[in-house]
Amino acid sequence: MNRFFPSSARKALLYLTLALVTFFVCFPLVWALSTSLKPKSEIFATPPILIPRTMTLENYEALLTGRQQYYQADPKAAVSGPSPAAFFTRWFMNSMIVTIGSTLISIVVSTLAAYSLTRFRYWGRSSIPYFSLLGYMVPSIIFVFPLFLMMVRLELTDSLWSLILGYVCITLPFCMWLMWAFMRSIPLEIEEAALIDGASRYQAFANVVLPTALPGIIAASIFSMIVSWNDYLFGRVFMNSLDNFTLTVGVMLFFEGTHVDWGLLMAASVLMTLPMAILFMMLQRHLVAGFGAGAVKG
Amino acid sequence: MEVKLDRINKKFGAVHVLKDIDLVFPSRKFVTLLGPSGCGKTTLLRMIAGLEEVTQGAIRFGGRDVTKLAPRDRNIAMVFQSYALYPQMTVRKNLGYGLRVRKTPKIEIDSAVERVAKILEIDHLLDRKPGQLSGGQRQRVALGRAMVRKPDIFLMDEPLSNLDAKLRVTMRGELRKFHLDLNATTIYVTHDQLEAMTMSDYIAVMHQGVLQQFGTPEQIYNKPANIFVASFIGSPPMNFLTGAVDGTNIIVNGVALNLPSHAAALSGRELQLGIRPQDLVLTDQKSGSLPGTVSLVELLGSEKLIEVELEGGNHLTVQVNADHNTRLRETVHLKLKPDRAHLFDRESGEAVLRQIAA
Amino acid sequence: MFRRNLFSSDRVVGIVFIAPFLIMAAIFMVYPIAEATRLAFVSYNPLRPDASFYVGLANFQYVFADPLFWQSMWQAVVWTFLSTLFQTVFGVGIALLLHRTIFGIAFFRGLLLFPYIVPTVVIALIWRWIFNPEIGVVNYSLQAMGIIDAPIYWLSTPTMAMASTIMLNVWKYTPFVVICVLARLQTVPIELYDAAKVDGAGAVRRFFDVTLPQLREVLIVVIVFRTIWTFNKFEEIYLLTKGGPGTSTFNLAIYSFEQSMANLKLGAGAATGVVMMVMLLVGSIIYLRIAGFEREE
Repeated sequence: MNRFFPSSARKALLYLTLALVTFFVCFPLVWALSTSLKPKSEIFATPPILIPRTMTLENYEALLTGRQQYYQADPKAAVSGPSPAAFFTRWFMNSMIVTIGSTLISIVVSTLAAYSLTRFRYWGRSSIPYFSLLGYMVPSIIFVFPLFLMMVRLELTDSLWSLILGYVCITLPFCMWLMWAFMRSIPLEIEEAALIDGASRYQAFANVVLPTALPGIIAASIFSMIVSWNDYLFGRVFMNSLDNFTLTVGVMLFFEGTHVDWGLLMAASVLMTLPMAILFMMLQRHLVAGFGAGAVKG
Repeated sequence: MEVKLDRINKKFGAVHVLKDIDLVFPSRKFVTLLGPSGCGKTTLLRMIAGLEEVTQGAIRFGGRDVTKLAPRDRNIAMVFQSYALYPQMTVRKNLGYGLRVRKTPKIEIDSAVERVAKILEIDHLLDRKPGQLSGGQRQRVALGRAMVRKPDIFLMDEPLSNLDAKLRVTMRGELRKFHLDLNATTIYVTHDQLEAMTMSDYIAVMHQGVLQQFGTPEQIYNKPANIFVASFIGSPPMNFLTGAVDGTNIIVNGVALNLPSHAAALSGRELQLGIRPQDLVLTDQKSGSLPGTVSLVELLGSEKLIEVELEGGNHLTVQVNADHNTRLRETVHLKLKPDRAHLFDRESGEAVLRQIAA
Repeated sequence: MFRRNLFSSDRVVGIVFIAPFLIMAAIFMVYPIAEATRLAFVSYNPLRPDASFYVGLANFQYVFADPLFWQSMWQAVVWTFLSTLFQTVFGVGIALLLHRTIFGIAFFRGLLLFPYIVPTVVIALIWRWIFNPEIGVVNYSLQAMGIIDAPIYWLSTPTMAMASTIMLNVWKYTPFVVICVLARLQTVPIELYDAAKVDGAGAVRRFFDVTLPQLREVLIVVIVFRTIWTFNKFEEIYLLTKGGPGTSTFNLAIYSFEQSMANLKLGAGAATGVVMMVMLLVGSIIYLRIAGFEREE
């Protein structure tokens, strides 16, 4: 005699899985947040507590105001001098500038190119996107040093421009692919109607095609921003001075010393993730749609 | 194997989709669940199959309560609307799947598959995959899959709706033959009344989760239990007019139309008169007939459909022999065949005349 | 005449629009790859850039003779295999269990993408914190629950370090697998399951005979892509263990990085890079072959 519908058991299993998965996905950040809000006394307390008994914003204060903490840089460390906390806001700005700059470039270039590839006929119009995709598959470690040497020759090392341009190489390929896939799905009839109405190609592009392509542009922008903001490798290789580090590189510096201020570190982690999380939550729908238009990447 | 439904109720959350269904599917007969989309017939079929839970009530197969049994324990077979053939398996493997799952010895599986394939004339397709078959071939494989297992009860969910019109006509006959070969109780779901009429031993008409009528096709056609059944069955659909019964006549638009003699019992009531297009006659007699103007003439082939507009705006459709020469805007007179008239209560929709006649 | 104008101005627009891309691609994509290949055949010391000279295959010989190279290669294989395996198994499992949930699934899908957007630096740092042997919360909880007696040195022994990096990779990328598999699951016709139920198949049988065949294509794509991507990952390992302890979590990307940055042998680093690209190419061709065969049917 078979059990027919163990629907209640099934539902329980379902919700259990949901809970477990949610827990594993969120726990690291939640714990980081919790640590960042604890005063020094509670961080090392045993048993570890999830919700701090006394919440303090001293870590965030230190980072955002650049006020020095008691943390002293280890003289044997690669970088000595003022506490990394003092540079946090500076690094944040650097990351912002680099991310937005490279994204702008990539988006503009790839949108224009995608439009051209899907509207006009010339040799290579079908192979260029695939080559672009191929470029996307090349691991960034291969690009780093040649690009670095190029920056040296251009005397751009240690300037934010080196990263803005450098990131193009890792964001442009996929943006190109995404925008091409998107543009392909926009029917020609809309523009043809505009052209008949008297618009020039440029006008048709700006007034008709761009607004329709907006979801793709948003998806590509999000992708590009995530990649630029999160990068470590390029930042490490291209930049020298403390002033010019991006957030990812700078925060790793918290680690070079012998004494690690975990609270500060976790606060920095939280602040670093925040822009991405906000961006993501606002535009989440578009991201999923954009992935649908592109390939399966990771 | 007889299938008995005892006060079956089904709710999806707060929505009550099946209400107090009491139904018996006689053993080895072909019964159709007929009704418009959303009437609950597919849900009912799925409950008989064990794919949906029963909210209230019981289902019995030959006396045995199967309400809580999983599909695999009910010894049923089912053909789905989309045939649901396993796409990655060959036809041979599709046919044998049910037996394989029950750990039948390979020799038996092979011989059963060969036998069924021969009967259904798909033996040349055994090593192909479903993606390589035509719609009709796929359907035969679906039927074969059911046949191989020798079920007690055979369920079909609108299997013909994915076929083109011509194939459908051929398949109707084939399915009927299939039922007789299989010798199982067959329960068939469709919204097409023509399929129901031509194939079934019995029809169960459903509407909005309620059983409207259960009977043979003749009974459903000739003695509809209510307005819904009357209007659903029959093509072109039945005509309806309002009138007051006076003696053995009904007064419609001021004209007295003849009714059968036992209608006198209903004298004085205002009722809904139903008359099929085939049961109206064009006549030259001006008394006892409804006058009207011809508004549409459609040639069907050997028959013509004439739409007549009466005073007061009512339309009637009449079906006549094609050699009638009726023209648009011509004035005609319509008479009804008294023993073919149906009378229905205006509020409940119930047929009142046949109750007396019966 | 109107048509002629439109045609020639179209041409101009077409070229103008694609030009920036072509230029940028040439400079920032084609050139670096070409240069990276060139560097593999050259001896280059960044401290004396003008003194570089052609050395033929010497860099490759150096690299192939280096036991650390082969160790890195092997470790990369192990790391990739295990990461992909766990990602796939967990991904499919979670997707299956999530398949029937209706309530809040959109929100949940969003949540699943979250690990992808978290900077690797952040997750590496948090990992180091929670897996810290003495003061990390993981060790504490495990000991408190009685699962272990002594603290596990998550990042200090070669096996555990490898395990930790695999864990991080799984955490970050399993959600991707879940989303892809889930999307495919939702297009599987329910009637196939119904037919299988009527035919008598139990849940396990239904998984193997209905679900898995339907998932086949998605899984092939997912596995191949995850393999290619995981093999060459730099940050996930480097930021957690810097390739350590010692060199026990080196993969080819880290090996290349160390050759260039620490040993100042850009040539050797580039040679490793070329090897990686060749392997990537081979992997892609194999994938296309498999995918191509699918389509022929």
